[in-house]
Amino acid sequence: MNLEKVIFGFFVILAFTLNFGFFIGGIDNPQVHHPGHLFAAVVINLVALVMKFGDRTHIGATHLATSLVAMLQLFAAALVWMWHLYISALPMDGPTMSVVVSLSGGALAANIISVVLLISETLRQTR
Amino acid sequence: MNDILFVILRRLRRPLIVLIIAYAISVWGLVLIPGRDAAGNVVHLGFFHAFYIVSYTATTIGFGEIPHAFTDAQRVWTIFSIYLSVISWAYALGSIFHLARDQTFLDAITRRRFATQVWSMEEPFVLIVGYGQSGIMLARMLDRTGQRMVIVELRTQRASSIEIDEFEHPPLFLAADGRLPDVLVDAGVTHRKCLAMVALAGDDDSNQSVAIGGTVLNPSLRIIARVHSQIARANMESFRKIELINPFEAFANNMRLDMGAPDKLRVVEWLSGLPGGARPSPLNMPMGHWVICGFGSFGRYVADAFDKAGVTWTAIDNDPSVHCNNPAILHHGDAQENLREAGIERAVGLIACTDRDAVNLATVTRARALNPNLYVVIRQINVANASLIDASMANLRFIRAEVVSHKVRQLLTSPLLIRFLGHLDEDQGDLAQRTGASLETHVGENVPFMWVFDCYASYRGLREALAPEVDPPLTIGDLLIDPENPPQRLDAVALLLLRKKTEIPLPAENTRLLSGDRVLFAGLRGVEATQERFLLEPSPLEYVRTGIEPPRSWLFRRLLRQDSKDSEA
Repeated sequence: MNLEKVIFGFFVILAFTLNFGFFIGGIDNPQVHHPGHLFAAVVINLVALVMKFGDRTHIGATHLATSLVAMLQLFAAALVWMWHLYISALPMDGPTMSVVVSLSGGALAANIISVVLLISETLRQTR
Repeated sequence: MNDILFVILRRLRRPLIVLIIAYAISVWGLVLIPGRDAAGNVVHLGFFHAFYIVSYTATTIGFGEIPHAFTDAQRVWTIFSIYLSVISWAYALGSIFHLARDQTFLDAITRRRFATQVWSMEEPFVLIVGYGQSGIMLARMLDRTGQRMVIVELRTQRASSIEIDEFEHPPLFLAADGRLPDVLVDAGVTHRKCLAMVALAGDDDSNQSVAIGGTVLNPSLRIIARVHSQIARANMESFRKIELINPFEAFANNMRLDMGAPDKLRVVEWLSGLPGGARPSPLNMPMGHWVICGFGSFGRYVADAFDKAGVTWTAIDNDPSVHCNNPAILHHGDAQENLREAGIERAVGLIACTDRDAVNLATVTRARALNPNLYVVIRQINVANASLIDASMANLRFIRAEVVSHKVRQLLTSPLLIRFLGHLDEDQGDLAQRTGASLETHVGENVPFMWVFDCYASYRGLREALAPEVDPPLTIGDLLIDPENPPQRLDAVALLLLRKKTEIPLPAENTRLLSGDRVLFAGLRGVEATQERFLLEPSPLEYVRTGIEPPRSWLFRRLLRQDSKDSEA
């Protein structure tokens, strides 16, 4: 067992699960999407991104690309939320929530690819 | 670029993760801990405000407690997050500074910058691998002729001395092992502007790796390699594009020529000197008995040359392994006795060629005491010992670096020159005398500049003159008339005419030129530029051939045509 691999897998999967947890629920219902959840997803995705730095293999490059996409989408989601709440100074409403959630849905897709890559890499190793 | 980016990313992975986690913990804590507004109501900080507060706290800017004064619980957490984030920042910055001073990282940057500079070279350049004594001498010589260079040297200290050495065009250099193919590629072995690679690296072993590596990477590149041993020679001779220089052999060969055919040597040296410099004077080595002190690889070549020139010799070497059953090689006993035994008293010359400068000096002094009229040839090992060797007042000195750089420059001048020198070497007649006389009459005493005139009908200036029906046909002599004031002659001599596969050394001036001919000229500085005018447009050539300057502009051409029509009518 390789501790490095455990930590790497842990963060990649955690990034995916947190993202999924935030995404699930009615798309325009602010009640079921907690900001803390999004924060955790951003932080863990950021960590997963940094962990993918510096791998020169082809699969490593694809890993990095998926993380960059997820990060971009999550940042956009957080920005939309922040803008609405603080700059526009309005309470959270359905349309804005749906924008945030759909952005995080995009990030979720990227995270799924990341997890698929992780699993396929593992399967290839054992063969 | 990729190398550097990856090194940065990999090294900064851990500090970045530490920073992210420290920030996340601090922000999370501030969001969870309840605060109170001015009215005493419980309010929670949003993620936005929390991140704002942590950002300025972590960077020790400290804007204060916003949007409301903190509760004590919040202050406790802020204390914790200050220490956490400041320590993480210190760690991250430390890693960044460490990286900036890291040798691997710096090497990656230097290498990348070097490769980029080489790739953006617009001028033709010569790649020199090895910046030892020969490399230094060659680089200086080439620099004086305005040749651009790229230098690769294994020893870091030697390589960085390139930066201090004075160059008119500072060469690009890299401290790296030229035996590695990727180093050669970065240094431009596959570059389209790379004229040739000169391998002068350390010993024969590494030098053959460099040369063979270069020729495999770019089979069409000219490669000039220094070689000493027979094995390395055989290895490299299997590659067509590698030209070999054996300094010992070259020097011994010159000695042989000087004894057997001094005229040839004189012309060879004259043509291969530094352009514009004074013509080297003949060596005038005496024929008779010679004593060779030091029978190493150099001594062997010298002995061989003596055998060919029909000169007797005796060698002295104190290494017993050298002694074979040759009675001409003495090897033991008192040095003075040895010299006597070798016949120093009746000898005409002495060659001191052990591999230590001090020993050579001592031998010369000892031999002169026994026979003051000796012609002395001394080998100088270290360029820095020049003043010591000067003191020996030797008639001739052998400096390996000098011979190598001289030979390389000769090879780099023009491939046609090498062919001409080959003809000179094989010639049994009076080619050398004729060349010498011709040079003396038309060019003068100094070493001439060399260039090749390409006689292609595709040049605008030559198209009409090279047409088959033109009478009189274009000759080499036409190219030697000054287009500015005919029939004044240009200060140049045609040395070699290359027509397809045939080579005509020293062609007569009435030789007819055909399209595709290439002519090697030797002449004074600036003649090449004058001659180039023949290529650009037809009027100079017509002027020197007919004495009439043809009209150049459209109007005058029309008038001329009208004129000739009138006269016909």
